[in-house]
Amino acid sequence: MADSVSYFLMAWLDPSLLMLTAIGTLAGIYVGAIPGLSVTMATSILISFTFSWDVNDALALIVGIYTGGVYGGSRTAILLNIPGAPSSVATSFDGYPLAQKGEAGQAIGLSTVMSVIGGLIGVAVLASVAPYLSDMALQFAPRDYFLIAVLGLLLVGSLATESLSRGIFAAALGAVIGLVGLDQVTATPRFTMGSMQLMGGIHYVVVMIGMFGVAEAFFQLHQLNAKPVRQKVDKIVPSLHLVLKFLPLSIRTSVIGVIVGALPGTGGDIASLFAYDHAKRSIKKPSRPFGTGAYEGLVAPETANNAAVGGAYVPMLTLGMPGDAVTAIIIGALVIHGLNPGPMLMIEAPHIFWFTVGNLVLANIFLLIFGLTGIKVFAKVVELPKAILIPLILVLCVVGSYSLNSSMTEVYWMLGFGLLGYFMKIFRFQMGPVILGVILGPLMDKTYRQAMSSVGDDTGSFLLSLVTNPLSLVLTIAVVLLLLSNTPLKRVLLRHRQT
Amino acid sequence: MSNHPSLKAGERAFNVLLLLLSLGVLYEAYRITGFDLPNSAGAFPLMLGAIMIASMVAILWGQRRHTGPGTQGALDEARHFFSEHFPLAIIVFSAMAIGYLFLLTFLGFISATAIFLFVSQVYLRRGHLLTSSIVTAVATGIIYALFKLLFQVYLP
Repeated sequence: MADSVSYFLMAWLDPSLLMLTAIGTLAGIYVGAIPGLSVTMATSILISFTFSWDVNDALALIVGIYTGGVYGGSRTAILLNIPGAPSSVATSFDGYPLAQKGEAGQAIGLSTVMSVIGGLIGVAVLASVAPYLSDMALQFAPRDYFLIAVLGLLLVGSLATESLSRGIFAAALGAVIGLVGLDQVTATPRFTMGSMQLMGGIHYVVVMIGMFGVAEAFFQLHQLNAKPVRQKVDKIVPSLHLVLKFLPLSIRTSVIGVIVGALPGTGGDIASLFAYDHAKRSIKKPSRPFGTGAYEGLVAPETANNAAVGGAYVPMLTLGMPGDAVTAIIIGALVIHGLNPGPMLMIEAPHIFWFTVGNLVLANIFLLIFGLTGIKVFAKVVELPKAILIPLILVLCVVGSYSLNSSMTEVYWMLGFGLLGYFMKIFRFQMGPVILGVILGPLMDKTYRQAMSSVGDDTGSFLLSLVTNPLSLVLTIAVVLLLLSNTPLKRVLLRHRQT
Repeated sequence: MSNHPSLKAGERAFNVLLLLLSLGVLYEAYRITGFDLPNSAGAFPLMLGAIMIASMVAILWGQRRHTGPGTQGALDEARHFFSEHFPLAIIVFSAMAIGYLFLLTFLGFISATAIFLFVSQVYLRRGHLLTSSIVTAVATGIIYALFKLLFQVYLP
C-alpha cells in the first residue's frame, strides 16, 4: 500500500515529471484544439523522440498530451464549430449554438470543469477495477486473448466506420503490416518479398506517422482557403450553481464514457456520441432544445470523452489491449522501454500502473488550471493559417520517422503510408482500425498459435474450446452477435418483429 | 433515381486495386509455409488474406447498385478523380515534399527545412514573403533547438 502511494505521488513530487505533465497537458490542449492536428498524430510523432528518455518522463509527457488533447478539441468545437478532435464532434452540436448566443465563455468554462470531473471518474475506475481485472486476466487462456483482440477489431470496425466490411478490411490490412518481417517463433520471413530491409519489419510508428500525420496534412490542403471565424470570449469560470446542477448528468455520462472507453478498440469519439444520445433520450426538459444550445448537450459528451481516457487505460494495462488508437501507441511506448503491457505488468512493474494513475490525476488538475486561463492567447493560436501549419506538420513527420533508426528508409515508408492513408481517407476507410491492426496483429498471431498448440494443432478441438470454456463462450457469443448485427439478418429480424 | 449514394470518382477502381492487393497478400501468405500445420508461421497470414478478400468482395458487392460519379467514360472519370482529389495545391505540395527529401540528403536538415518551409508557405499563402521568412526562421530554429538540443535526436 505504502509503495502504491509513493508510486502514485512520484509525478507530484518530482519537479521534472511535474513540469513534463504540465507541458504535456498544455501542449495537448493546443494540439487537440488546432484543426488538422490530432492527439494520435502528436503521440505517434512524440514516441519517436522519447525513445532515449526515461520511461517515466516519456509517460508523463504522453499522459499530459492525451488528457489535454481529448479536452482541447472542445474549444474549437464551441468557438468555431470545428471539432479539433473526433471526440469533440458531439460537443459542437450544442457548444457552437451557445457561442452564437454570446455564451462561449460560460460554455468553455463548464466544459472544462465537466471534462475534469469525467477525467477523474475515469481514473477512479481505472484505479479500482484494473488491479482485479489484472488478477482475473492471469487466468485467461491464449484463445481468450485472441477472442478479445478479434472483438476489439470488430468493435472499432463496426462503430468507427460506415460499414463493418471496411472496418474489417482496414484492421486486416493493419495486421498484415504488423506481421511483415521474420516470424518471432520460427524466423520464417513473412511478406518480405525477398527484401533484406523488410526482414526487420515495418516500424509501426512509421505507419502511424504516415497515416495520421502525412495523410491528414494532405487532406487539410483541401480546406486551405477556409476563413478563420473569430469569437469574443471573456469570463469563463462557471458558477458553482451551474456545476452542481449538471453534476448528476455528468456522473451518468462519465460511467458511459468509462465503459465505452474500456471496450478494446473504441474510445472518446464513440463514448461522446453515446453520452450525447443518452442525454437527449433521458432529459425531458433540457435548458434549451438539444441542438440549439442546451447545456446538457455540452456536458454529456465532454464528461464522457475525458472519462473514456481512464477507461481506455484499463484494457491496455491489464490485458495489453489498446482501448483506442492513442493507447495503442502508448503500448508501443511501453514495449520500447522494455515493459510488457498486460496482466504481468502489475506484477513485474507495479510502479508503472500507480505512476500512470497518479499522473492522470495530476494531468486533470493541470487541465483545470490551463482550461480556465489563457483563453485570449488560445483564440489567437487556433487562428493559425493552415498554409503555415501543414508544412510544419510534414517537417515534424520527417523528423519523427527519421529519428527511429536514423535512416531515410523510414521516411520514404512514412510518405508511402501517408499516400495510402490519403487514398483510404478519400474513399471512406478509417485509419483507426489499421493502426489497431498493426498493434494487435502480432499479438493475435501469437495467441492463435499458442491456442492451437495447446489443443495439439487440431482445428476441431480449437473450435470446440471456444464454446466449452465459460469465458471463451461469452467472448465467442459476443463476436458472433457483433458479426450478425452487421449482416442483413438483423434487418430481416427487425422487419419480422415489426410485422 | 437510385436510393444508393453515388460513388466518388475512382472509388470503384481503388476498391478493385485493394482487392488485387488482397489477392497478393493471400498469395504471399501461401508462399510462407503453404497449407501447413494450423499453427505454422503462414496460418494466420492466410486467414488475414482470406478476410481481406472476403471484405473487399463484400464492399464491391454492396456497391454494385450505387450510381457512378456521373462521368462519361474512364477518361472523364480519371479527369474528375484528379480534379477532385489531386488539386494543384496537393500536386505542387507533394512535389515540394519529395524535393525536400532530396534536399535533406544534399544540404542537411537546417538548410533543406528552411528552404522547404519558406517555399511551401509562399506558395500556399500566395505571397506573404516577410511573414513567411519570419515563420521559417523561427520554426526552423525552434525545431532544431527542441529536437537536436533538448530531445537529442538525430536529425537528417
